[in-house]
Amino acid sequence: MATTSFTAPKLSSPTFQTLCRNLPLSLPIPKTLSSFSFHLSPFLSRFHLHHHHPTPRFHPRRLFAVRAESENGAEPLRHYDFDLFTIGAGSGGVRASRFAANFGASVAVCELPFSTISSETTGGVGGTCVLRGCVPKKLMVYASKYSHEFDESNGFGWKYDTEPKHDWSTLMANKNAELQRLTGIYKNILNKAGVTLIEGRGKVVDPHTVDVDGKLYTARHILISVGGRPFIPDIPGSEYAIDSDAALDLPSKPEKVAIVGGGYIALEFAGIFNGLTSEVHVFIRQKKVLRGFDEEIRDFVGEQMALRGIQFHTEESPQAIVKSADGSLSLKTNKGTIEGFSHIMFATGRRPNTKNLGLESVGVKINKNGAIEVDEYSRTTVPSIWAVGDVTDRINLTPVALMEGAALAKTLFQNEPTKPDYRAVPSAVFSQPPIGQVGLTEEQARKEYGDIDVYTANFRPLKATLSGLPDRVFMKLIVCAKTNKVIGLHMCGEDSAEIAQGFAVAVKAGLTKADFDATVGIHPTSAEEFVTMRTPTRKIRQSSESQGNMGHEAKTAAGV
Amino acid sequence: MARKMLVDEEMNQTNQEEAHYDFDLFVIGAGSGGVRAARFSANYGAKVGICELPFHPISSEVIGGVGGTCVIRGCVPKKILVYGAAFGSELEDARNYGWELNEKLDFNWKKLLHKKTDEIIRLNGIYKRLLSNAGVKLFEGEGKIVGPNEVEVTQLDGTKLSYSAKHILIATGSRAHRPPIPGQELGITSDEALSLEDLPKHAVVLGGGYIAVEFASIWRGLGANVDLFFRKELPLRGFDDEMRAVVARNLERRGINLHPQTNLTELIKTDNGIKVTTDHGEELIADVVLFATGRLPNSKRLNLEAVGVELDNTGAVKVDEYSRTSIPSVWAVGDVTNRMNLTPVALMEGTCFAKTVFGKEPSKPDYSHVPCAVFSIPPLSVVGLSEEQAIEQANGDVLVFTSTFNPMKNTVSGRQEKTVMKLVVDAETDKVLGASMCGPDAPEIMQGIAVALQCGATKAQFDSTVGIHPSAAEEFVTMRSVSRRITCRGKPKTNL
Repeated sequence: MATTSFTAPKLSSPTFQTLCRNLPLSLPIPKTLSSFSFHLSPFLSRFHLHHHHPTPRFHPRRLFAVRAESENGAEPLRHYDFDLFTIGAGSGGVRASRFAANFGASVAVCELPFSTISSETTGGVGGTCVLRGCVPKKLMVYASKYSHEFDESNGFGWKYDTEPKHDWSTLMANKNAELQRLTGIYKNILNKAGVTLIEGRGKVVDPHTVDVDGKLYTARHILISVGGRPFIPDIPGSEYAIDSDAALDLPSKPEKVAIVGGGYIALEFAGIFNGLTSEVHVFIRQKKVLRGFDEEIRDFVGEQMALRGIQFHTEESPQAIVKSADGSLSLKTNKGTIEGFSHIMFATGRRPNTKNLGLESVGVKINKNGAIEVDEYSRTTVPSIWAVGDVTDRINLTPVALMEGAALAKTLFQNEPTKPDYRAVPSAVFSQPPIGQVGLTEEQARKEYGDIDVYTANFRPLKATLSGLPDRVFMKLIVCAKTNKVIGLHMCGEDSAEIAQGFAVAVKAGLTKADFDATVGIHPTSAEEFVTMRTPTRKIRQSSESQGNMGHEAKTAAGV
Repeated sequence: MARKMLVDEEMNQTNQEEAHYDFDLFVIGAGSGGVRAARFSANYGAKVGICELPFHPISSEVIGGVGGTCVIRGCVPKKILVYGAAFGSELEDARNYGWELNEKLDFNWKKLLHKKTDEIIRLNGIYKRLLSNAGVKLFEGEGKIVGPNEVEVTQLDGTKLSYSAKHILIATGSRAHRPPIPGQELGITSDEALSLEDLPKHAVVLGGGYIAVEFASIWRGLGANVDLFFRKELPLRGFDDEMRAVVARNLERRGINLHPQTNLTELIKTDNGIKVTTDHGEELIADVVLFATGRLPNSKRLNLEAVGVELDNTGAVKVDEYSRTSIPSVWAVGDVTNRMNLTPVALMEGTCFAKTVFGKEPSKPDYSHVPCAVFSIPPLSVVGLSEEQAIEQANGDVLVFTSTFNPMKNTVSGRQEKTVMKLVVDAETDKVLGASMCGPDAPEIMQGIAVALQCGATKAQFDSTVGIHPSAAEEFVTMRSVSRRITCRGKPKTNL
């Protein structure tokens, strides 16, 4: 099986070919749509999508009247090798390339050779999402969640003569086989769309030229979609630390792992390793995990994870890692030293992969975090160069990169200037329990709208009453007091990610609390709580500092 | 007379009039609809009494329990067993994720049953407390209508209580019914199926509705051999045909023997078990035979006809859009009216009743876009119209979007079972008319979709929603290509 070549080491996979030299990027997966719809009839857009024009090599400028008046209109008849050259075949790059090709453009994309660990010289078609992000992470979540399910099942009458044991190498082999399958699928997708795939490291030479390992390609437009990479702060001993790339492909189970960071990646890995029976310590700089999330969600998820055995060390920052003679690692922090770790993982953020791309030299402006600056249409400061996905550090999510990629293809090749719409983008954290959310946090809502009503539910789900485990579910709706619109929805508990999606449609459509109330529940589910929240937990008014209200029924417009 | 006046007018007659009645509202039946109506009416200030039969998991003419079908003999215990049964396949799936489990896993049915019973007893207590917290007076015994404003409660010891009430609400629900075939007494209904002493080794299920499919899944998940007999070609009549086929395929793949277009003709007790004969002449031996052949309204012993409350030919209490019966002071909600027999619908009806009668706000329950779920394994959930209904009702063309995919979890577990999702869209208005899904978490996923449909969301609004990645639910907002376009009668076609 090809899988064997994957399991152990980091780079390498003889079976894999190569692509360009960039870095990986963000994410792919199933098809997404998005940006279309608002402006034009969706049917129209779908129609175009499926229409394959014969692909003329030269695209007269009509293809992109939009913003074409600018500089690159200067040489209308210049011949280019491609209409679009994309650097980086992750979620955003693949999406933009495919769609552009479907709209009739001639497209090439370059990508680095495949490896589960990314570097300046390794990447792989599919990008971060497929190879080092969403997909392998979710597979590991599935694997690790079983230990909780074994506990739950005891309460439902199932018994194990011997405690279930986990075999790490089986999981890694099966996971890597799946990644290999997916990267193949992505290549296929590109191939079918008529996109030329070039393995190697791409670099911008001038506004219309890309160099891939010494070979030059000209293009009317260049798209940078090289993604981001984990970042490990430079402290003494940081060379002993691993990042999320490595954490997804460890050769053996970490016995005792320190995870530094309080963001979603840190929490997801804490859940994964905990479920796979490692001892897990999480070190966070602040008092709470998940900065930027709703405060109540932050509290709730921290409590629930601690109940499952994860040890949190709050307001504790790492200062050094020391390797002892027996090979174990110690983490020195501002509060002391903790010894005996088999692994120390840093989940301390990701940085855009903008180095060594030749960007500065052609005049593409990069901000101080290394992200490419773009306008609302994803255009960089050089008019023929565009960027989508994590490399622009807008909202670093696969579906957002897909939206940006799709919007760009439309803007460039369908005569339809399209801005990605960042309102009400839902997201999930696959911690255990998971979080799903869309819209504003209570803190943001208060700032933005002043007067809001907050509805919360905190309950023990049916499953937990039988299993006897301390699992709970927390749900929250934030409603604009003036318009009755639901402006934020948050949930932490089993199935949160799946549950939030449908509600995201409702929130995006600007639906009101009365609309939620008018919806009949699906019984018995957890999700039905979102349509049966009758009484606000608190009403926040700018004038008189809030107050919990337990009085009368908030408008239960059921059926009216 | 007050009764002839508008409802809210009636409310203004205030104290003097109320003095004539023991209660403003007397509810017969403390299930989902009755408890909701009683509580909400009490919250509006009404003086409310409610009666319910004594508690027991198996219902009869004289047995019931506060909480009703949903809590004691329906949704809740069923879902608990589904959870229990779903572990069977979950645990199998664990192996490819690296977990080493015993070849044969032990499952203790008695433990599950015992915990299930504990849980419904707990919930029964919670419901009683809800009522007393709301100030509703609970009577244990069998209620009956004596006059348009008069109820009689026969208590356990045989003593009878009589009360007058300005309004009477019938919320007595329904009970499983058995087909009239020879040996039917050897079979059981869903009541007993939820409380069987022993897990069946070989179960026969008769019926193609959601109850039949759910029990087939439960027993199969726990390791029994299951044969499912139903009259139509596919189970789940009334649901989208394509989704029915998906459910049938899933049941079959999980090892349930399907016998479409087959009925049972006779049950005979033998030494080896119950011998079951079909109308195709087949015979098989089972230790349990479940009749999931429908439910009938509990309207018999209420003395309804005598006071002039009309019933339809199935025994359901006839009501108007506000849940009022043919006697103006008598109302009915929930399964006893046989409108849409779902707990959340009974809750809606109960809420609307309380609003109409005591909240000065006449409210009709809205039956459009009521979502529902079938907790088969894997489950099915739908909201809005099926493809067939959409075509039936359409003026213009109908667009159908479907997505069939291997859920990510299966890519490693190796389970061969696709998730199927479907959106049915009105081509002209772009409105999403119906959504269905069969696959893990479908009921949880569908709830939010139901909010969107309730408010007439368009396909464009679905498309403009960003996905949550990686989830199954994101497929609902990423369906780009039309699977088919159905040109409906009358209207000229557009060309796609």
